[in-house]
Amino acid sequence: MIKKTFKVSDMTCTNCAMKLESLEDVLDGVKEINASYHKLQMVIEYDESKLTDEQIIAAVKKKGYHAEPA
Amino acid sequence: MSKEQKPAFDPVILVALGIGFITMAVVLFAFQNQGDQALDISAGTGLSGRIMVAFITGLTTGGLSCLAVQGGLLASSLAHQIEQDYLEQSNLPKKHGKKQQPQKRSSTALPILLFLAAKLVAYTLLGVLLGWVGSFLTLSPLTRAFLMIAIGIFMVGNALRMFNVHPVFRYFSIEPPKFITRYIRRTSKGTDTFTPIFLGALTVFIPCGVTQAMMAAALATGSPLTGAAMMFAFILGTSPVFFIVAYLTTELGARLEKFFMRFVAVAVLILGLVTLDGGLNVMGSPLSFQNLSRSLLPSESTTSAQASSLQSTTSDGGLTLSVGNDGYFPQTLRADANTAIQLNLITNKTYSCARDFVIPALNFYQLLPDTGSVQVDIPAQPSGTRMFFTCSMGMYTGMIVFE
Repeated sequence: MIKKTFKVSDMTCTNCAMKLESLEDVLDGVKEINASYHKLQMVIEYDESKLTDEQIIAAVKKKGYHAEPA
Repeated sequence: MSKEQKPAFDPVILVALGIGFITMAVVLFAFQNQGDQALDISAGTGLSGRIMVAFITGLTTGGLSCLAVQGGLLASSLAHQIEQDYLEQSNLPKKHGKKQQPQKRSSTALPILLFLAAKLVAYTLLGVLLGWVGSFLTLSPLTRAFLMIAIGIFMVGNALRMFNVHPVFRYFSIEPPKFITRYIRRTSKGTDTFTPIFLGALTVFIPCGVTQAMMAAALATGSPLTGAAMMFAFILGTSPVFFIVAYLTTELGARLEKFFMRFVAVAVLILGLVTLDGGLNVMGSPLSFQNLSRSLLPSESTTSAQASSLQSTTSDGGLTLSVGNDGYFPQTLRADANTAIQLNLITNKTYSCARDFVIPALNFYQLLPDTGSVQVDIPAQPSGTRMFFTCSMGMYTGMIVFE
């Protein structure tokens, strides 16, 4: 398990953070996601053998946001 | 998914229209009875006025603001349900040569109603709690002024956040604890009857900016009954807009959301400035919009002069101020400098918040009787002094000029 921070600069409200956290239930290998609208970032704890950065960024994009490794 | 599968007349729209009409009826009833004691539940403090403000705030901005925080939850739950309905319908056996009768989508209206009903109950209970907590805090006019100014700043900051003016304004939104958002998110996946009830009740933990301001106002009332009434009125006001917008969100997605957010931001900004101005009035600040305009604008001075000519002076040289449902008359009184005076406050079937009379400079605060008179002793003031008076909400104002 590793913990990585992604910058998501196009969040507009606290609901956006909730939407991003819902990726917990979608992405395989994710243990926990903590997204913060105040910090415009999401911290994701995941199994790197099951999930890549690109997959995370793609999943975030599907939710309507743009993520990049911080 | 073909268009034929869609119900010809959506029961959701019917219910939305129903709620809309009920809301309009409540508004009309309240306005008709504004001068009636029937609405003045506490027989004091202009409660009907506060309730109306709460209701209209909910109706105009609260519902739209809640959309940003809570609308998505309901919409996602509904979208799933609608999808299920369509799937069930598309699986029905088709009769050759006959048009399929559309099934009624009654299951969509129920969760919205349950959601809104649970939300109404939960926030009313929260209003009781806030009012009860507030009852232990004795709020002097000055404390109330600070609270109003703080709420005003919070609302203005929230509006500027929505306009994306500067990153610092992001901190004007409150992020709910993670365990709550996680629980709400997971609960929202269900589609049974209890899910919308749960969701509606749990929205108390993720209030929008306008709701938070209303919660602060409920706290400031210091009365469980008033707090509950205010929150009830506010959430009732949000319901029609929330209902329609939540429904539209499922239909039109994010396209409308951007437009609504702009509208909400403008409305919150205006309300924030009004609250801030009210706080300055209660503080007796000459910098409030009303006090500034009264002091500076020539037209206002003319009006004041005309008004002051109508003021009656009592036999002992005191001043008389009429306290009506629509404010104070005259708004500007003139008194001799360096002489102690008596101010006679006259009420006559006055039920508005004008009865909550405050003179900030004297730290004077009194709830006037709805009909009667109250005397206030004002010590001698040097020439040029402008002593502001206001209602406790900073809505109605006036001043005494010593010369």
